[in-house]
Amino acid sequence: MNKNSVSARSKRFYIIGLILLSVVVIAFLVSLFWTPYDPYTTDAASKLLPPSAAHPFGTDNFGRDVLSRVMCAAKFTVFISVAGVSIALILGTVTGLPAGYFGGLTDRFIMFINNSIMCFPGILLALVAVAVFGASMFNVVWALGLVFAPTYARVYRSGTIEIKEYDYITHARVMGIRPGRIMIMHILPNLVPQLLPATVIGLANMTLFESGMSYLGLGVQPPDASFGKMLAESQAYIRVAPWLVIFPSMMLVFYILGLYFVSEGMRVSFTKGGGS
Amino acid sequence: MTGRQTALYVFRKVFELIATLLLVSLFTFLAFSVIPGDTARIMLGANATEEQVEALRTDLGLDKPLAVRYITWLGGAFTGDLGNSTQFRTGVAGLIASRLPVTLGMSILAFIMIVAISYPLAILSSRRPGKLADQICSVLGHVLFAIPPFVLSLLLILIFGSILKNFTIGNYVAPNVDFGIYLQSLLLPAFAIALPKIAMTFKFLRSSIIEQKASDYVATAKSHGLSDIKIMFRHILPNSNVSSITIISLVLSDILGGSLIVEQVFNLPGLGRLLLSAISQRDFPLLSGIVFYLALVTVLLYFAADIFSSLSDPRIRLS
Repeated sequence: MNKNSVSARSKRFYIIGLILLSVVVIAFLVSLFWTPYDPYTTDAASKLLPPSAAHPFGTDNFGRDVLSRVMCAAKFTVFISVAGVSIALILGTVTGLPAGYFGGLTDRFIMFINNSIMCFPGILLALVAVAVFGASMFNVVWALGLVFAPTYARVYRSGTIEIKEYDYITHARVMGIRPGRIMIMHILPNLVPQLLPATVIGLANMTLFESGMSYLGLGVQPPDASFGKMLAESQAYIRVAPWLVIFPSMMLVFYILGLYFVSEGMRVSFTKGGGS
Repeated sequence: MTGRQTALYVFRKVFELIATLLLVSLFTFLAFSVIPGDTARIMLGANATEEQVEALRTDLGLDKPLAVRYITWLGGAFTGDLGNSTQFRTGVAGLIASRLPVTLGMSILAFIMIVAISYPLAILSSRRPGKLADQICSVLGHVLFAIPPFVLSLLLILIFGSILKNFTIGNYVAPNVDFGIYLQSLLLPAFAIALPKIAMTFKFLRSSIIEQKASDYVATAKSHGLSDIKIMFRHILPNSNVSSITIISLVLSDILGGSLIVEQVFNLPGLGRLLLSAISQRDFPLLSGIVFYLALVTVLLYFAADIFSSLSDPRIRLS
């Protein structure tokens, strides 16, 4: 594949991804200042109304405006994924960089613990943490951060092992710069091409987890809206009010798919060969 | 020489397996022991009397030191005795076993679907990479991969239930009562779990086949006049075994995690529902039993994947 078609391919991924993402992000940004209706006010007179000009996404079984609730849910989804991935990235830095840089026993010890954590199905670990410490948004964020940390630790470690062999690192070491500084100032910035796609995929995967947990009632707690919880509540009305299922699913999938496409675009443009 | 190296490799892997299992069991045990506050009090809630709390504490052995409790629990876990559920008042191991027909059956069905669909698609798609069929498969794969399994389940219920009107949920029947209806009730949930994994397996398999196709031995085989089908099944697929084994082991552990949620959508009495009731009733013996069991299955899966990979590619056990 020649260079032109690679950049055309990655551009296509970026464009589709960013369009999908912007739908959700705009909903999230606007919801901070304005929603068409109050997302929490119930209205017995307008229960289960189909989509119309007054309620573009219809209303739910409590007469709440679905569009307003979807916008509100976008806010929590974006916030939880960004906060959770940030925690995972920090934990990954603290464990993965030293493991790769020092090697030997440090590496073995850290990676052994890492691999053992990865033996638990991820969603299970997050569910248990929430079960033990209580279901709240704060607990969901750190539990998911913890579950995703080993994945990032692996990315950091393998990148560090490669980069630490470069001459400029040897130079820095000979100059007497301390390991901590070398890792943060000289190795970390060079890991960005690998970390960026991994971060974007992490946002998507974390949203998959969070929506599942919210669906089970162990994520975002009512009355706050989340896509998972909205879908769980709408299941009883799936035949009479399919819009209750369709719109939250659509937004949720837009967010995850948008992130996947952007990360795919990054992967194609960062790996110069293009890949397939 | 090779025999000794193989033995050494297996020995090392078994040692790793035991160490991992010990650490996993320690994690599981500690997760339910480091709960801030009085575990027995948390389990019973604020309304329980002091005598009830005291009784549960003795019952669970919470009055003994941590290390003693761990050894007791571990010994029990490896002999199939995971303690008693505080909620159902029966053995945890028996409870888990009673829910396995659902979760296991669903996982196996999903796995069969994944292999049966992703392999032919990957072979077809890699015949002419970049052409229409390939592009349709790739885009569809991306989209399917982005839909959470429980959303897929809801959409499937919507499609099969509202539009085709031939599917009602919640009609689970135990396999020994009517095996046909049992399978039927698991078909749609299994499909919902399988779809995103089909997309994932397809993607990895496709790129692995394309990579193999570009290698010299394929050109040689072609110049010897071997047919495309023969090259595919005799040479390319065996050579992409290692990456497919890795992917399959990942997929299998994901299936287990995914089934916990999808069961809930289809109202199936599997491990997922048991787990949720353990969480909501704060039934910690049952909860730790389920967690340990699922982790055990995952560890064994990865172990089996390592052994199989080394069998199909000797380079792994020599390095």
